[in-house]
Amino acid sequence: MAAPVYPAWVTRWVSGQWRNKKRPPTLRPPRTLALADKVANRREQSTEATCITEMSVMMACWKQNDFNDVPCAEEIRTFYDCVAKAEKERKNQNEDTLSSRGNLPSSKVNKLLKRFPQITRYV
Amino acid sequence: PCHDTARALGYSPAALAPCRIMPVRWSRYNPSYLEPEVKKESHQKPLEELTEEEREQMELKAVRPIKAAPPSLSSSVFSDPMISKFTNMMMKSGNKVLARSLMSQTLEAIKRKQLEKYHKAPENEKETIECNPYVIFHQALKNCQPIIGLSNITRGGKTYQVPVPLTDNRKRFLAMKWLITECRENKHRQTLMPEKLSQELLQAFNNEGPVIKRKNVLHKMAEANRAYAHFRWW
Repeated sequence: MAAPVYPAWVTRWVSGQWRNKKRPPTLRPPRTLALADKVANRREQSTEATCITEMSVMMACWKQNDFNDVPCAEEIRTFYDCVAKAEKERKNQNEDTLSSRGNLPSSKVNKLLKRFPQITRYV
Repeated sequence: PCHDTARALGYSPAALAPCRIMPVRWSRYNPSYLEPEVKKESHQKPLEELTEEEREQMELKAVRPIKAAPPSLSSSVFSDPMISKFTNMMMKSGNKVLARSLMSQTLEAIKRKQLEKYHKAPENEKETIECNPYVIFHQALKNCQPIIGLSNITRGGKTYQVPVPLTDNRKRFLAMKWLITECRENKHRQTLMPEKLSQELLQAFNNEGPVIKRKNVLHKMAEANRAYAHFRWW
């Protein structure tokens, strides 16, 4: 981009810093100090594994009963219910709303930002 | 020929012009086509007994085209979708006649063995012996189905066996596959398939035998690897 124009107090402060040999100008950005219209491509954080507690309960029951399914029928049923619920949850979740962690995927954010870009000049 | 097929599958004339029929693995029907309803009971229900969804379904059937029923779909009382699936898995090189005869011979063998046991048993035990081969087949399949499976997940270069819940279809497939491979590979060469299968099914019905052992081995491995369960992301 072209050399950005800063307000007067910024230039005066920066030259003051050099004159007092205090420290080199802390402000030397080559680009305008304005937000870009896109975010970086971040790898989508993976969701955690579901139904781990039910699975561990079922496995404890198996260990006690020598991997026999008949005495563990209750635990197995709860595990199946949990799995069915998690599956339905996954099917119903809509990517346009916030995910379970409260984050939008970067592609969706970029689309929104493109619709409402940063205003760099006033006309 | 390509235009006729496309028109039969429900594509409009505008879409027909640049058509080429490529063989594909998935269905080539237009999404508007509905599945055929084969069960006689659903057609014999009087109009008042239908619920709201069923009324809507009937309205839809009046305006939408319906797919052709595949030859394996039958409205007979003797047809069982699980038995058909098992027969298809037993089939080799498309020899459905042989697979179906083997299946019927298996069911007959099961019935014979159970009847023999029934007639030899004392009076008080006669009720406990199950003679219906279909019941035995279904119960044996249910006993063979694994509850949890293992899947390979790679993290940091190493592949781990992670315990993972299975879908119903996958469980049924695994149970049937294990039964068939067990019969084909680990038995004496000269015994016929119905004999081997009936023996395996009866053993699975009583929760014993090599297939149940294989299922338990899978469960034990899943239990041993339960620490890696967090590697799953679904």
